[in-house]
Amino acid sequence: MTTVLEVRGLTKRFGGLTALEDVSLAAGGGKVVGIVGVNGAGKTTLMNCLCGIYRPDGGTIRIDGHDTTGHAPHQIAHRGVGRTFQVPRVFGKMSLIDNLLVPVLSRDQPDAQLLAQAEAMLEQMRLIHLRHNFAEELSGGQQKLLEMGRMLMPEPRLVMLDEPFAGVHPQLCSFMIERIAAMAAAGRTVLLISHDLTSIYRLSDWLIAMNQGRIIAEGGVEDIRGNRDVIEAYLGG
Amino acid sequence: MTALVLNGLVNGIIVGGLYALLGLSLSLLYGVLRVVNFAHGELVIGGSFVAYMLFRALGLPPLYSLPVAAVSFFAAGWCAYYLLIPRLSRSDDPETMSFLLMYGLSIALAATLLLLFGADSRSIDYSFNPISVAIGPVNVSTARVVALAVTIVITAAMGWFLFRTLPGKALRAATMNREATQIIGINVVRLSALAFALAFAIAGMTGVLIALVFPAFSPFSGGEYSIIGFIVIVLGGLGNPVGALIAGVFYGVAEQMATVFLPQALAQIVGFALLVGTILVRPTGLFGFRALR
Repeated sequence: MTTVLEVRGLTKRFGGLTALEDVSLAAGGGKVVGIVGVNGAGKTTLMNCLCGIYRPDGGTIRIDGHDTTGHAPHQIAHRGVGRTFQVPRVFGKMSLIDNLLVPVLSRDQPDAQLLAQAEAMLEQMRLIHLRHNFAEELSGGQQKLLEMGRMLMPEPRLVMLDEPFAGVHPQLCSFMIERIAAMAAAGRTVLLISHDLTSIYRLSDWLIAMNQGRIIAEGGVEDIRGNRDVIEAYLGG
Repeated sequence: MTALVLNGLVNGIIVGGLYALLGLSLSLLYGVLRVVNFAHGELVIGGSFVAYMLFRALGLPPLYSLPVAAVSFFAAGWCAYYLLIPRLSRSDDPETMSFLLMYGLSIALAATLLLLFGADSRSIDYSFNPISVAIGPVNVSTARVVALAVTIVITAAMGWFLFRTLPGKALRAATMNREATQIIGINVVRLSALAFALAFAIAGMTGVLIALVFPAFSPFSGGEYSIIGFIVIVLGGLGNPVGALIAGVFYGVAEQMATVFLPQALAQIVGFALLVGTILVRPTGLFGFRALR
C-alpha cells in the first residue's frame, strides 16, 4: 500500500484541554479509513489539524512523504488534500458552477475546459439542472453534494469527509455512499468521519475508534464492532 | 416643488454614488478580513489632499489625480496590510484588536494631515467648462456630473473585477466563507492583502471625487465619512459589496430628499434614523446575507 497520509504522535491542546493526544495513523492506497467516536472524541479536531486549520502542539503529519505539520491550509490543499465539513461551507451567493470553478481558478487551463469539467462534476453529483442557481438555494443534502464536487475538482489524492451523512435524507445518503465508494475506486484515499455506523461499516476498509482525544482501537470492521473499549465508549459503560 | 424634488433626486444619486464607493471599500475589507476600518474617512480625506497638493504644486486638474491616488493608495494599502494585519491574527481576540488598531490609525492619519496641511478647510479652485449642465429641468454642476461618471466607471470596473476575474471570484468566495476558501487551496493572506490594497485605492479615489463635489475638506472631515460609510455597510449588509453599492445610492437619495422635505436640523438625523431602524428591523441589512460566515 502506498502511504499517502502518515501521522505520528499528533497532539493538540486548547488551553488546559487536550483535544488530541499522541494520535498516530496511516492511510493510503485508495482505501477508506473510517474514524468513529462519540461527540468530543477528537475526530474533527484531528481533521482540522490534518488540513491546516489548527496548528498541532506536537507530532508530525506527512502527506506523500512531505512534512506538512503546521502548514497553511492552502499549502496542504496544494499537496492534493481535499476536505468537506459537517455543516457544508459552500459559497452561498455564487452559482453552483462558480462554486466548482473557484478551486481551479489558478489552473493554466482554458476556461472552456474548466467549465466542461465543472459541468461534468455537477452531472456526477446530479446537480446539473441547478447549475446556475445560487448555492444557498440548495437543500442541506444538495449542499453537501456540491461541497463534495468542489472538493473533487482539483483531483485530490487524499479526501477527508466530516460527517457526510449527518442530516441527509436516506435516499441521498445511498447516493453519497456510492460517490464515496467511487472516490476510493478512482484511487483516492478517503478519511471518513461519521456517526452513521451502518454507512461507515459498509464503506471502510480500516476503522479507527477514538475517545477523549486518543485512539482506543483500530482494525477491520469486525474487530471494531466487537471491541469492548469501543462499546464501552459508545454506551458510557 | 417638482423641481426641488428632481434636484434632490439627481444630487442624491450623485452624492449617493460617492457614498456607495465609501461603502464598497469598507465592505470589501470587512467581508474578507472582518476588519472594521475606522480610519477609512481619514484615508478618503488623504485622497482629497493628494488632489489638492497636485493641483497646487503642479496645476494638475483633479481628474488626473485619480490614477495617482489609486496607485499610491494601493501600494500604501499593500504595505499597511503586511505591516499591521498579520500581527492581529496572533492576538487572542483579533476582531477587538482590529477595532483598536484601526481607531489608532485613524487618529494618527488625522494628526499627520493636520501637521502637514494645518487645521483650515481647503478646497480646489478648479471648474469645468461649462460650469454646469442641464439634466432635464435640473441644473447640475459639471464637476458633479463628472464625479458621477467616474463613480460609475469605478463601480463597473469593480463589478467586472469581482464577478468576471479569477482573483475577484476568489475575493467574493472569501467574503462568503474564508475558511472554505483556504481549504480549497487559495492563499487568503495574499487575497487579504489584495482586498486591503483595493480598499485603500478606492478610498483614495473617493477622496479625489469628494474634493471635486463638496466645497471644502479639512483634516477633521474624515470622521464624518467614516460614519457615512458605516451607515452604508449596515444598510447594505456587512461584507456585501453589492449591497453596499445599492445602499450608498439609497442613503444619498434619502439624505438629499430629507433636505427638501424636512427642516435642516432634522435632515441631519435621517442617516442615523435609517441606521437604527435597519438594525432594529433587519439586522442583516437591507441586502445582507443571513448567514455570512
